[in-house]
Amino acid sequence: MSQAAISFGEDLVRALSRSLGEPGWLTSSRLDALKYFTDLPPETNPLYTKYASTFGFPVDQFRMTAAKSAVDFRSFFSGFLTGKESDIILQGNETQVHSELREELASKGVELMSFHDALDKEEAKVRDLVERRNVKSSGDRFAAFVNAFFNGGVFVRVPRGVALDKPLRRMLLLDSPRTPVVEQNFVIAEEESRLVFLEELYSKGESVPSLVASNLELVAKPGSHVDFSSIQLLDGQSTHISNRAVDIHSDARATVSSLSLGAAVSRSRMNFLLNGRGSLAEGFEIFFTDAKQRYDFETNLIHNSPDSTGSTQARGVLKGESQSIFKGMIKIVRAAKNSRSYLAHHAMLLERTAKSDAVPSLEIDTNEVRATHSASVAQIDDEQLFYLMARGLPLDESKKMVVLGFFEPVLSRVPIEQTREGARFMIEGKWHGEKRRLVDRETLLAETGEITPEVKESEDIFERHYKYR
Amino acid sequence: MKLEIVDLHASVEGKEILKGVNLTIGQGETHALMGPNGSGKSTLAYTLMGHPKYQVTSGKVLIDGESITGLAPDKRVRKGLFLAFQYPVSVQGVSMFSFLRAAYNNSRPAGSEPPTIFEFREVVADKLKMLSMDESFLNRYLNEGFSGGEKKRAEILQMALMEPKFAVLDETDSGLDIDALRIVAEGINKVSGPQTGALLITHYQRILKYVKPQFVHVMYQGRIIESGGEDLSRLLEEKGYTWIKGYQEEQAPVQAP
Repeated sequence: MSQAAISFGEDLVRALSRSLGEPGWLTSSRLDALKYFTDLPPETNPLYTKYASTFGFPVDQFRMTAAKSAVDFRSFFSGFLTGKESDIILQGNETQVHSELREELASKGVELMSFHDALDKEEAKVRDLVERRNVKSSGDRFAAFVNAFFNGGVFVRVPRGVALDKPLRRMLLLDSPRTPVVEQNFVIAEEESRLVFLEELYSKGESVPSLVASNLELVAKPGSHVDFSSIQLLDGQSTHISNRAVDIHSDARATVSSLSLGAAVSRSRMNFLLNGRGSLAEGFEIFFTDAKQRYDFETNLIHNSPDSTGSTQARGVLKGESQSIFKGMIKIVRAAKNSRSYLAHHAMLLERTAKSDAVPSLEIDTNEVRATHSASVAQIDDEQLFYLMARGLPLDESKKMVVLGFFEPVLSRVPIEQTREGARFMIEGKWHGEKRRLVDRETLLAETGEITPEVKESEDIFERHYKYR
Repeated sequence: MKLEIVDLHASVEGKEILKGVNLTIGQGETHALMGPNGSGKSTLAYTLMGHPKYQVTSGKVLIDGESITGLAPDKRVRKGLFLAFQYPVSVQGVSMFSFLRAAYNNSRPAGSEPPTIFEFREVVADKLKMLSMDESFLNRYLNEGFSGGEKKRAEILQMALMEPKFAVLDETDSGLDIDALRIVAEGINKVSGPQTGALLITHYQRILKYVKPQFVHVMYQGRIIESGGEDLSRLLEEKGYTWIKGYQEEQAPVQAP
């Protein structure tokens, strides 16, 4: 416990790996990653280097120990759980503290455990997964950081043909600025399986400046269907870094819905890899920033196979002096004929001091595809506000209605009901300066009195308004 | 109970558009305001509702003897004022249902208990029926993708729910075909009872076949230059707006000091 913190170098890699009882091949893999972390600039893509400084963070301000802290999960998570949860894995700071999985799922072979438990249990399989990771150290300095220094992570797997009836959940709760949470996460849906995964990142109390850095390998094997959602409500001084690769095999479908509300800086990279024929990817990126928050999001749709369909829609509202940048690329390789891809970013600014940029791009090596993108950044519309005020709504309520409405075209498409309804509740909370967490429908009803019926627009993942390239 | 407009001057981006408008509307009265394009009719409508782009430079607007000139639009609603927009804006992601509910709750007298979601459904269902509108309307986004006729009907629906004391209807008849015009006009008649004073802004006489005003005013170059009964609108229709121009010049020497 009292082990001294050491800076991010080879000594720490070795100490970490040793204290986690890791095999030699993993230590070597960490050391390989360390080289990239040391050598790479914060931004490797020349398209984006001019924005890098706004969102960068000095990683050396954090210190790490190789020891783990012990946490009593019942008292630690008190107030964060309803007691009705099942199929959930809880993590306090860097320590996995508790996991619960219904026997009927465990007996079917569903796995919900820490990365290191998985490593102990089936080293050969995990080694194979680690060696074929899609989040490459060579591609990003912070991905390399995680590959070198991860001190935890979750391992989730749903076996072939198994369909889950409700989401597997994971909650990360921080109360300590001491040790960064650095994670290597795997979420794997085997062939023809159905997996819904719900991740929540929270800080306990105020003023917990911490670092959460994670790499996620999400794999959707042939014919599987994965809905993944992530909610980030870390403390306003925290730094959040995420690198995700979503590997989608033939006739598989994967959706990733992200709601970002917290942290001082959030830097997220996601690659949808449409690797199988007929694969489908959908990304929903929803954010609401205020004060001096800085968000830097990148989502790429990489079509490597024919008949693949990809779509990413980002929508954000910015208050105060907050800033965001959204980068997105559609890449369609020569072989990926008859693919469709759509990328959209729309941001609304509530004050002149807020700032948002969008850098969408296309790289298409074949004909017979449809690839479109759209982007806009605009101030809140005064004529809309006047119209609502002329119907008796005070200015603040009018703004709130326009803002909440702005999210809807994307939010209403989020496939996980709990995330969809919870996101509305949480966004409205942030509007009122409250920190609200994801709650179940029962609590939501008790809190709000009612759930306003939803308007569903067309199910086509391509919006009606788009421009051809 | 009356709406009084007293020597109202208003500017947009420094340019004076209203140059001394005087008009009084009593409860239960229907007034038609006619005039050529650019005469200031819509500016009057926006100014009455308190659009921030329209600056009142002098004069005042009173409801029940109380000035509303300095009030924000939502406060004017509380005083009983309503504006049916010529071009209602659309708001993405806001369902008609939640919008109507907010409008309804915000136009109730202060302190009154708002209805539950189920009670409100019944209230709105009645009004929809009255305007021959389908309930599926409630599940659409506010004015988004609405046809011209749907937008205007939606405005009248809002008026029906908010039950204003004074309603300004800005070219509610424009862009409607004959059938839609009739439906909207009938709606106006049903909604504006003896408790409501209405100012019907229009280009054409055709809506006046359905909605009968007791008073007709003609606006030209930022002023009301002539007021009369229904016969005035017929005179206008016959002679056209060029007639006003001549009329105005004829009157000018009298007005000169």
